[in-house]
Order: sequence, then C-alpha cells, then structure tokens
Amino acid sequence: MNFIKRIITFQPSWTLRIITGMVSVVAFISMCLITGVLDISGAMAERDHEFTGRNIEAGAKYYFDQCARCHGGKGEGVDGLGPALSYDGFLGKWDPAKNTLGQSARLKAIGWTSSLKGYIEAVTAAGMPIKSSPIWENPHPPFALAYGGPLRDDQIKNIATFVVNWGPGQVAPVATQPEGGAGPQPTAAPLTAQQEKGKQVFLGAAGCQACHAIRGVAAGAVGPTMNKLATTAEARIKDAAYKGTAKNALEYIRESIVNPNVFVVAECPTGACIANVMPATFGTSLQPDDLNALIDYLGSLK
Amino acid sequence: MAIIGKRLVDQVRSTGLKATVAQRLDDGFTRLTSGLSWNDVRGVLRGDPPGKPNNRVKPHTEAFWFHIRPTFYHEAVTTLYPTFRLGYMSALFFAIEIITGIFLMIFYTPSPERAYQNMLDILTNVPFGQLMRDMHRLGAEVMVVVVTIHMWRTFLTASYKKPRQFTWFTGVILLIVTMFLSFSGYLLPWDQLALWAVTIGTSMADAAPLVGPQVNLLLRGAPDIGAGGLLRFYLFHVVLFPLIGVIFVAVHYYKVVRYGISLPPEMEGVGEDSARKVGPAKRVNFMPDILTNELVYAAIAIALLTIASGTFYNAALETHSNPLVTPNHTVAPWYFYWLQGLIKIPHILPVLPEALSTQFDSIMFNVLGITPKILWGIIIGPVIPLLLMVVPYIDPNPSRRYSDRKVMITLGVIFEVAILYLSLAGIPTGVPVTRFGFVGGDPASEIAQEFMPDEGVGKVKRVPWDQLAVGTWQIVPPDEAPNAPEFNHLLRELQQDMDHRTREADPNGKKLSGGTANVRVKLIQPDVKEFTLTISFTDDKGQPQQYSKTNYLHRNSGYEKE
Repeated sequence: MNFIKRIITFQPSWTLRIITGMVSVVAFISMCLITGVLDISGAMAERDHEFTGRNIEAGAKYYFDQCARCHGGKGEGVDGLGPALSYDGFLGKWDPAKNTLGQSARLKAIGWTSSLKGYIEAVTAAGMPIKSSPIWENPHPPFALAYGGPLRDDQIKNIATFVVNWGPGQVAPVATQPEGGAGPQPTAAPLTAQQEKGKQVFLGAAGCQACHAIRGVAAGAVGPTMNKLATTAEARIKDAAYKGTAKNALEYIRESIVNPNVFVVAECPTGACIANVMPATFGTSLQPDDLNALIDYLGSLK
Repeated sequence: MAIIGKRLVDQVRSTGLKATVAQRLDDGFTRLTSGLSWNDVRGVLRGDPPGKPNNRVKPHTEAFWFHIRPTFYHEAVTTLYPTFRLGYMSALFFAIEIITGIFLMIFYTPSPERAYQNMLDILTNVPFGQLMRDMHRLGAEVMVVVVTIHMWRTFLTASYKKPRQFTWFTGVILLIVTMFLSFSGYLLPWDQLALWAVTIGTSMADAAPLVGPQVNLLLRGAPDIGAGGLLRFYLFHVVLFPLIGVIFVAVHYYKVVRYGISLPPEMEGVGEDSARKVGPAKRVNFMPDILTNELVYAAIAIALLTIASGTFYNAALETHSNPLVTPNHTVAPWYFYWLQGLIKIPHILPVLPEALSTQFDSIMFNVLGITPKILWGIIIGPVIPLLLMVVPYIDPNPSRRYSDRKVMITLGVIFEVAILYLSLAGIPTGVPVTRFGFVGGDPASEIAQEFMPDEGVGKVKRVPWDQLAVGTWQIVPPDEAPNAPEFNHLLRELQQDMDHRTREADPNGKKLSGGTANVRVKLIQPDVKEFTLTISFTDDKGQPQQYSKTNYLHRNSGYEKE
C-alpha cells in the first residue's frame, strides 16, 4: 500500500526532469536519424526488394488464374491456344553477367518501341487489336476492367512483373510460335447433323462450355480441355491408373459425363482436377437424344 | 527607417556592440514568449523560484496557448494520482496524429487506382515515410487506449459529477470521435484489411432499421465501397472528424479550466467542489512545475513512440484490396470487437432456454420486425455510448467517495467485463472457455487458414525460402526433407494440427476424419516457389473430399522478418 502511495504521489525531482527530458529528446532525434537519414538507402531499398518479391507472388497467382491456360504453367505456351512467353524470342536473351534481358525479337518484329513490361501490360490490358499471326485463331482478349476484362490495373502490373521475372529461367517453347515453326492447323472434317446438334448441346442445354474449352468453340477454364478428346480418351483407357469400365473412346466419354468421379484426371487448367467438381447429374438431366448427340460430337474431336 | 537606424547606432555607441546585440535578441525573445526574457525561461526550466513581481504570469494573459492554461493548479492534482496525465496524453497524441497525418497526406491520393501504390511508395521511396506511417498508426491505437483509460479514471474518481457533467458528455463524444478517426483511417491504405474491415463496419450501418440503407449509401457513395467510398472516408478522416475533434477538445478543455481539475474524492466533503478554491499555500504554479513536467512527459511519450515505430512496430500492409475476394476470418479493428461480439448473440433473450428463446425471437420478428442481430448490433450497440453520455445526469448519488459508490463502481466493472467478454467473442476464435463467438469452417480449410492465412503472414511464409524443399512431402506421417529443419518443423506442426483436429471436435462439433495431406513445392521461376497444401478427408456423408490451397513465395519477400 505504501509502495502504491509512493507511486501515485510521485513528483519527479528537477534533476530527474532535466535528465529524462534530455535523454528522451536525444533518443527521439537519434531514432529519427537512424531510421530516416542514416539508413535511408539500406532500409528503403530492402523494402523495395521485398515488395517487388510480393508483387511477383501476386502476379504468379493471377498468372495461374488467368494466363496459364493459354500460355502454360512454365510460360511454354499451349498448342493452338497461346504462344510461349518465357523464351528468348519474346523476353530477349538473359545475360547473367549483366543480370538483364537483351533485345526481344518479337517486339522488334512488330515494331514496339517501349519496354517489354509495357508491352506485356498493354496486351494483357487491352488485348491484341489485330490478328498478328495466322497461327492463332483468336487474338489476345482484353483483361483490364476498363476494356471489359476481369483484372484491375495493379493485377495486370503484377502479372507483367511475374512474366518478366522469367528472365533467367527461360524454357524451350513447346507451342507453335508466331515467328515460324508449324504451319496453320489442319482443318477438321465437317460435322454431321447429329454432331452439330451435340455441339449445340455442349454450348447450350448442358452448359459444358462454362467449364471446358474446345479450340475455336468454347473457352471454359475449370475442367480439362476437350481438344482432340477422342485421341485423349483412347490414351486414357490404356493408362494403368484408369479405373473405369470403358472399352473405347465413345464409352469413355459417356462414362466421364454420366459418372465423372470414376476416373479423375490430373490435367485441369489450374492444376490437378478435383473430384466432385463436375456434377454427376448429366446422365439424368440430359435427354437421351441430346446425350448421344453430345457424345457423338465430342468423339469427333480427334 | 532612419529613426530605427539612429537609435541602434546610439545604443551601440553608449553600451557597445555585444551588449546591444544581446539586448536586441533578448527583446525579440521576450516578444516571442509574450513576456518572458531568456533568463526567465532559463529560470523556469531550472526550477528557480519566481521573482517579484512574477513575470511568469504574463504569458497567461498575453499569449493564446498559455492563456488557455491556468496559472496554477491545486497541489493535490499535480501528483500522478488522480489524473495520471491521461487527458494531457490524449491531447498530445491528437497533436502527434495531426503532424504525422499531414506528412502522410503529402504522399497520398484518395483514389483506388493510386492509393495502394502510394502506400508502397511511402514505404520504399519516401524518406521518413515508414517511420511516419508507423507512428501515425501506432499513435492512433495508443490514443484509443489512452482516451478509454482516461474515461475510466474519470468514472472511478467520479469526476463527472456536478459541475462537470457536460465535460464528461463532451468527453464521450471525443471517445467516439477518436474511434471513428481511427476507423476511417483504416480504409485509406486500400489493402484487403482496409476494404473488408470497413465493409463490415458499414454493413452494420446498413442493417439499422428505417435509415440503414440510406446511411450505408451515404457512407460508401455507392452500393459497394469504391472510389466514392474511399474519397468519403478520406474526407471524414482528414476533415470532418478532426474538425469535430478540435471543436470538442476546445469545449472539453474550456470546461476543465473553468471548473478546475477535480480533487481526489477523499479530499472533499460530499457534494462539495473545491477545485477552484485554492489557498495560496496549496497552489502549484503552472510555470515552472506543471510546464516542465508536461514537457518531460511529452518528450518521453514521443521518444517511446518513435523508438517503437522505428524498431519492432510495423504497421500492417496487406495485399491490394479486392472486392471479389473476402479473406477468411475478417475482423473489425480491435476496439470494435465488442460490437462484433454483440452481433454474435444468438437470441433476443439469450438467458431463456434454447427452445423458448427461439420462440420469442420469432414472435419479436413477426410483431416488431426485430431480429437478434438488429437488436444487439444496431440498437444496443449505439445505445452504449449514449448511455455513457447520460451517466452523470442519471447518477443520483452526490458523493464522490469510493466507499459511497459501491453500486456504481460494481456496475462499471460489470460493464467493463462485459465489453471485454464481448470483445473476445468478436474474434473468430471466440471466448477461451465458453467458446462463445467461435467461427470456423470445415477443419481442412481451417488448417489451411492457420498455416496459410488469406492475408497476413502465416507459418508457411515464415519458413526460409531456401528451406522450402522442392518435391511432394507427406504429412501423415511427416516426411523428412534433407537440410531443411524449419521446413520439417512445419510438416510436423501440420501433422500435429491435423492430429489435434482429428481427436477433438471444434465448438461447432466439426472433426477432421480420415485426414491425409501432402505438401507440394514446385519451383516455377528461379526465385519463385509454389507451395500447395492438399488435404484429403472424408466428409459428413462419408464421401472423399479434397481441399487444397496454394501460396506463391518469392525469395526476397522478407516475410520471416514480420
């Protein structure tokens, strides 16, 4: 009690006031000097480094959400959908001695005079105004909110930072390159009436296009792509991990629609596919005619 | 001109150059201090006794800042008790907030396109930027604490009683202003924390009966917080609330000077107010004692705030705000936890048995249109500050003595305990023992949230980047990666957490069953790794389920320091 009384009736002596006052002022000034003046380049540059790193992380997230489907998880490109990004024809050659990227052949070819990052941001935001190469069916769509896309400006900047960060880790492109390589795609055989009906079911009643992509038809980005589905199905049946009962491609396609959880593949646009994402109700919700037409159509994709 | 020059020359001739310069400087100094010469000020700072006549009274009549301070205090209020200098500290922090705030305003644009980039620039490109931001933020939090304790002290010593009822009333308004100042500043960095904390806050307004949607629209400027809402909150933060604050500080402090600081309760008779009746023997002059004490306290507070901001305290900056993604477990600022806790009260009459209170709820809803959320969050919540405002007008007890105020003090303590309890209930983990207020999703997503929170730095981000071993690693039982002790520790912690959630159900009765998990680390760029946690488990219906969450981690992002 006495101790408490001494604290609450405490009156600092003059010496104490002068000393603590002086010490506090000196502490304040030196702290300001330490953080604000002496350490300026060090601390601020370090923060800059950290935030660049975090921007790249955010860019990675958006890249895998939005870009990887067409440009590939390693930036290697996807055949028929989008060109490679992480190769020297686009980024320029990585110079380890200087820690920089060289001249980009692609930008030179199209006469882009601004920076690589600026080009990536501009194309991501506003899309390609023209079809710059006969190889890609669709020009790059706009992604910025301002141009009707889903992304904010800061997200687009992050994506560009992420893509440019591939500099030292470039991979060999697997996809057709706009600068040359493979020629135009082979034209597919015309669809029969039944298959045309199936295509309409795919786009309409069944709503498949919301999740699945077919080159030139649909661009869903949840489930596996349906390009060359018939060929893929043949390969799946022979796969050792395959657990279903299908004997041929059409049976496999039917099984995948009616009972999708029997065999869940690993190649979804955002990583491994997850069971139960695909509704198991199409077997009952679709008219038998429609279902048959749909299977016929999907089986024609070779 | 000529005359001034002539006088100067005459003075130099008669007294010499040195003495003239000294006299002229001292003259200017005296004008600056409104009546104290250099020697007088020196005497004040050294604690010398005043001369006769006492020059030190002059600034109190001549200068604005001194004229608002009294010339003397009663000696009983100059010790630490009863004021603990809390009112002074509140004013001091208000001043610090204004100064650091003006600094930050220079580098800030209230626009969704620019605000977040401005924050990054303040941290990476503005000298003193991070220090100012940290001081502003920490100062704001400390100010809420100081103002709250100040009110508590006033309540305990019953200083709100006659004639200081209105002083208390303005004090409650200042408490509210402090909280709203702090809250409105929350939105300005335009990060996820900002957007969602303020979305929650304004949603509370939205639920208010009759005017709710209109108030919400006025606050946000649109159905959702965007450019309009940011600009409005900015204007609230830098114009409206500071203006209300300054006005009410003026009124509040005028009342303090007018009635004096109330003496310790035990020193006065019941119903007596002798703060202004101070005999000469009991006077402590403002100069030198009070002034020097205050200068020292200010110096200490500023030094501590600066040291804390410059060393361990870092004001959080989350990722850029995203209206489409709600981070899991978003909470309001801590001083509004109690309000969130109130909203979690499940029934209008929670004391009744479950079945009865549900019945009562539906009756109330059908008859009055009141749901428990509306009652507790929107009606009771705002009533609490109103109740605080009228405390001095409804407290019938004239005595300020502790022994005469057992009921009131007990009520106050109950109120405080209730606020603390509700505050605990306001956070997602809920109150420790009773688990009231617990919020949790399914166990798998809770594990991911604990280790890889949507916002902020979790355990995964703290593992040194080099130790994140590329490959796929099982959690049950935990694999061992070579040369990666912290990564292995993380795997073991994951396993323990899964084990814990398998053995014990959370307060909602949810348990993890048949859980296995793996961690996959992929190098996607030379300095970026992809960390994916995949948890497989069996759901309530016995179906196998999978939950996975991915973090991207850059070598330089420096999370381990936070």
